[in-house]
Amino acid sequence: MSRDRDQKPVMPRPSGTFPPSEAMLAEPVPDEVQRVQQERLRKAWATPKGWRYWSAVNNSEVGVWYSTTALFFMLAAGVMALLIRLQLAVPENDLIPADRFNQLFTMHGSAMMFLFAVPMFEAISIIILPALLGARDMPFPRLSAFGYWSFLIGGVFVIGSILFDAAPNSGWFMYPPLATKAEGVGSDIWLLGLSFIEIASIAAAVELIVGTLKCRPPGMRVNIMPLYAWYVMVVGGMILFAFPPLIAGDFLFELERSFDWPFFDPERGGDPMLWQHLFWIFGHPEVYIVFLPSIAIAAMIIPTVARRPIVGYSWIVLSAVGTGFLSFGLWVHHMFTTGLPSISLGFFSAASEAVVIPTGIQLFAFLATLMIGRVTMTLPMLWIAGALAVFTMGGLTGVMLAMAPFDFQAHDSYFVVAHLHYTLFGGMIFPVIAGVYYFYPFIRKKKLSERLGRWSFWLIFVGFNVTFLPMHLTGLKGMPRRIYTYPEGIGWDWLNMISTIGAFVIAAGFAVFVWDLFRPKRGQGQVARNPWQAGTLEWSHEIPEEAWGVRSIPHVTSRYPLWDQPQIVERMDAGRYYLPDAEEGKRETLITSVIDAEPLQVQRVTGPAWITHAAAIFTGGTFIFPTFHVYPPAIVCGVLAVACILYWLWTSTARPPEADSKDVGLGLRLPTYASGPASAGWWAMWITMLGDATAFASVIFGFFFYWTARPDFPPDGAAHAEPLLVAIAAGAMAASWALTLWARGANRRGAVSLARGALVAAPLLAGVGGIGLIGSVWTLEPTSHVYPAILWALAIWVVVHTGVGVIMQVYCLAGSIFGKMTPRYDADIWNVSLFWHFHVLSAVVACAVMGFAPGVL
Amino acid sequence: MSEDRQKTRDGEVEEFAEEQASLWRITLSPLAWAAHFVICYGLVALSCAKGLPVESVRQGLIVFSVVVLALIGWIGWRAWRQWDVRETGDYLNQQGKAEDRHRFLGHAAFLLSIISFIGVVFVSLPLLLLEGCG
Amino acid sequence: MGARSGEYGSLRRVDGIGAPFFVLGLPLFLSACSGRQSALDVAGEDAAAISLLFWVMFGAACLLWVAMNGLFFFLSRIRPGQFPDRYVQPLLIGGGILLPTVLLAALLVWGLGLLPDQRAPGDGLRIKVTGEQWWWRVEYWPEGAEAPVVTANEIRMPVGERVEFLLGADKVIHSFWIPALGGKMDMFPGRETRVSLRAERTGVFRGQCAEFCGASHAWMAFETVVMEPDTFDAWLEAEAGDALMPVEGAATRGAALFLSQGCGACHTIRGTEAVGQVGPDLTHVGGRLSLGAGRMGVSTAGFTRWIGHTEALKPEVQMPSYDFLSTEELDDLAQYLVGLK
Repeated sequence: MSRDRDQKPVMPRPSGTFPPSEAMLAEPVPDEVQRVQQERLRKAWATPKGWRYWSAVNNSEVGVWYSTTALFFMLAAGVMALLIRLQLAVPENDLIPADRFNQLFTMHGSAMMFLFAVPMFEAISIIILPALLGARDMPFPRLSAFGYWSFLIGGVFVIGSILFDAAPNSGWFMYPPLATKAEGVGSDIWLLGLSFIEIASIAAAVELIVGTLKCRPPGMRVNIMPLYAWYVMVVGGMILFAFPPLIAGDFLFELERSFDWPFFDPERGGDPMLWQHLFWIFGHPEVYIVFLPSIAIAAMIIPTVARRPIVGYSWIVLSAVGTGFLSFGLWVHHMFTTGLPSISLGFFSAASEAVVIPTGIQLFAFLATLMIGRVTMTLPMLWIAGALAVFTMGGLTGVMLAMAPFDFQAHDSYFVVAHLHYTLFGGMIFPVIAGVYYFYPFIRKKKLSERLGRWSFWLIFVGFNVTFLPMHLTGLKGMPRRIYTYPEGIGWDWLNMISTIGAFVIAAGFAVFVWDLFRPKRGQGQVARNPWQAGTLEWSHEIPEEAWGVRSIPHVTSRYPLWDQPQIVERMDAGRYYLPDAEEGKRETLITSVIDAEPLQVQRVTGPAWITHAAAIFTGGTFIFPTFHVYPPAIVCGVLAVACILYWLWTSTARPPEADSKDVGLGLRLPTYASGPASAGWWAMWITMLGDATAFASVIFGFFFYWTARPDFPPDGAAHAEPLLVAIAAGAMAASWALTLWARGANRRGAVSLARGALVAAPLLAGVGGIGLIGSVWTLEPTSHVYPAILWALAIWVVVHTGVGVIMQVYCLAGSIFGKMTPRYDADIWNVSLFWHFHVLSAVVACAVMGFAPGVL
Repeated sequence: MSEDRQKTRDGEVEEFAEEQASLWRITLSPLAWAAHFVICYGLVALSCAKGLPVESVRQGLIVFSVVVLALIGWIGWRAWRQWDVRETGDYLNQQGKAEDRHRFLGHAAFLLSIISFIGVVFVSLPLLLLEGCG
Repeated sequence: MGARSGEYGSLRRVDGIGAPFFVLGLPLFLSACSGRQSALDVAGEDAAAISLLFWVMFGAACLLWVAMNGLFFFLSRIRPGQFPDRYVQPLLIGGGILLPTVLLAALLVWGLGLLPDQRAPGDGLRIKVTGEQWWWRVEYWPEGAEAPVVTANEIRMPVGERVEFLLGADKVIHSFWIPALGGKMDMFPGRETRVSLRAERTGVFRGQCAEFCGASHAWMAFETVVMEPDTFDAWLEAEAGDALMPVEGAATRGAALFLSQGCGACHTIRGTEAVGQVGPDLTHVGGRLSLGAGRMGVSTAGFTRWIGHTEALKPEVQMPSYDFLSTEELDDLAQYLVGLK
């Protein structure tokens, strides 16, 4: 990429004064100016009224819908848990039939993980992250909205299946061959419905990472950004590397379900272990993806209640980053009993123990903060205390389970059920509820009831321990997980009865909590501003609430600006800081540099829209129709979804601005348009493609996994991909990439017609490449053996991406013809060429594997 | 982008501008851990599945572990110098200045090196304690 | 605790370290670790090693939990805000890095050192177990044997001898687990895994499938009978023989019914025309401790119930319920089967 940077940018640079001097900040803003600015800003950021309300895209609206929906899914999954517990209360119970029970526990786990835990992290982050960073909104509000509507559609589809007795019933881990052979549409609902949601999750992760890296307020260097933002960055990165292997697995799995390609069928060279690897490479980091942001909430609450800055800021950053890395080296501890060599188990035992250290460090940093601060046991802090008690227990049983020999006994027993609930309640539920109590005055400008809060805490805390503490023993006494009933007399009867009773106590606690959350609070006045006397920027928001988020974007020089920068709130309110106005009536936010948050650009952000709903509905159709093996409507939906997304991008992203640059206040002028690495869109593309490349790498891993694990890969005398066509495909793709890159340079030099010519030729070449690649495997029979099947899968992967790449090239061509893309405003082609960098790399790797593998293996 | 402005700023020494480019540097040690982990696991799995001489693979990996430990040690030492706590006595690096950011990144990288070092030692234990493909 | 240890054999070996737990007041664990499917009521060498590992980790975990939460309580409720900043670095370095590193390294050295023993080779007898939906196909391969002794849904093994289990599966993944004897091992279609177990005392222990394998996962269990070596040899010899021919009326009618109803298409009863391979071998089913893969005890009433209500007793099982047979016919069949000692 260095070659790209050498070219002289045409864009205007930031100019003027930065950082602002104290004198500039001290200068008052005239009242009349303030009034006019406020009016314009209010108009630009107004939330739509009436039925149009649902077209809102503002983070404060989308975030609330998102979290409420996730909460609803959690309650539904909780009801399933109660049914599970009722069935297990007594031996040989016939309350719930076996198949229904299997659907219940499958859906309980799947919904808690995919419809609650991860979306809840994203929802909370969408609500609070912009506020923590003094930003007006997320960088891509319509993407958040699209993600939300996709989540809603997918979530209702997946969880609704249980009402029709059609839910997946093979466990949330969906091990083949059980799940590949399962009858009915359950497995397909799981695969396609959740893939849909995973893609929405990745979209949200991309947005959160870009939000953290590029939308911080001026001056907020990485060493003073709120710890929550650090965690968001780490967790976003983890999502990017953890979800794609699962998506790759889903891709292979659904090919087996729909077309009988034997990826996991040992009779035709497949291997069920590949799924286990791909699933747990996702599955274990997933646990930390759920845990880290919740502990981040604790990192926000603890300094507030201790009335002092967090102790060991660097230590906590280390802990977040370290945990993020180590969590990718644990996955085989879910596979300790699959008969892998002892040394291999040893590696994973060791890494699983090592991850304890960073996790422990963050707890000790909290303790240290409490040690030197003066703690007040507020309600949020009570929940954090509960979290600590519960989580340390889960962590310690985790240390036990990480020891491979002990796991031989405890694996897949109720001991593990107890362990995982201790970690997830302590590491997620308790801190998140603490966060709800803490942030409720920020979100709703009201307070939750202290009395009800304590009631629900004690009910949930006691109920939780009554339910799950005995399960350790139940498991050690030999009770396996996922059994719908058990005979009496083995010694499990009374333990299960206790657990069932406890489950209903938890439910009572949640009932109190949910009532408190949703009960009408009209009588209660709005809270005072910054009711907890906290030090971070989200508490600067005005009361009553204004849709603009912050009146002006402050210059930040401290980790706790509300504590350390005495007049900051006053000056923000007066519009003394950046972007106090919306002269053009457009929504805007600041883009700053990654490390030091120097102001770089004013970014136009999108406003209310319905196109996101259409895009979500059609994307949903694309995933949902194949569940029932009806493909024509799925294809129609796919085309319409692409059309909607193109319309949305065309009309609202990277449009040439009215002026090259604008005054953002405090004597600073910033460009209004950026392309390449300076723009948020380019970062989003880069991050997305990193995830995409991980998914591709997982498919390639699959290829080499078969080669390592199976003696008959490739089988003797097998037909291979046609080498000549593979070579042609690789060449054509490379040429298409080179032309795209060249078109970008030509366009910027002003050679517009040459660029257009290249953009006509490039898609044609890409088409040749795609056809060549399909042609190279055309004669192979993918249902006969896993070898032709994986060659086909690679070809399909590359061809689908080629299709996307072609659409992008044509989009740029159209942009050039219709004046959206000019030599000066060329963000589109920068993003497209970035896509092609990744695409050509994966195409060449795929071609090399397909073409050379037979000779080398 | 804005380097030209930066030079004129008081207290912002050029020395600290090098990190403009990258946040990735603090992840070097954990990346070394990850590479070590993947190579150990991959090679052992491969040699057990394909009947390669596991014993020599194991010994080679022990040597490799030592090399990785040395590498992490070196990264950690550089990070320690960047943190420079003995000179400044500042454990917190909490000011909004370029120098604080510079030292903070050193501190974080140093701590990550410690964790990665422990991680590599742990992951090497099976190589020392276990033999063969059983 | 001392008084109890006579009652609960499993606790005897951990008396020394068990004492502090008792003081800590954890009656839950101490009241009832026993059970014929309990990993803590050990009867095998491997389970004993793991159980010791567990008790030590459990003790350390209790101490650490109390220490961590006690510290929290002390700092937040008893003496909040009374400590100077200079305590911070020692707390972070000592509690966050040194303590866990040392403890975990020691644990790893010990725990990983247990792995080779857990994978020790057998003394001679090999038992091949195949997981089916939802029962166990069992073949005994004594040392030097050319053909196996085929049976189903029950494991018998000699005490004091390390027996090697070769594990496989028919359609889906299962897991072979006898908690009292040792850890579990998954069973895959198209791949052989192995585990070896050495029983230290005779008795009957329950084993169960531990990997979710479909509708009747809950009903995929078996009894493990650990016998004196002589008794075991005698049993195996008898097990290798053909089925006993029924002599009295009801059982004879049952034998005829068994063939006329087509049971032999799925089941084998050696010495008769029944040679089916789909379902469990029934040659000596009457001599087993359970029927229906641990579903219920062996008795005439049990067989009657099983054959008449198979699908209710074991959801989605391949065998149909023979509920169209009359009570008398069911009873005849049961008499026949229960007599197949």
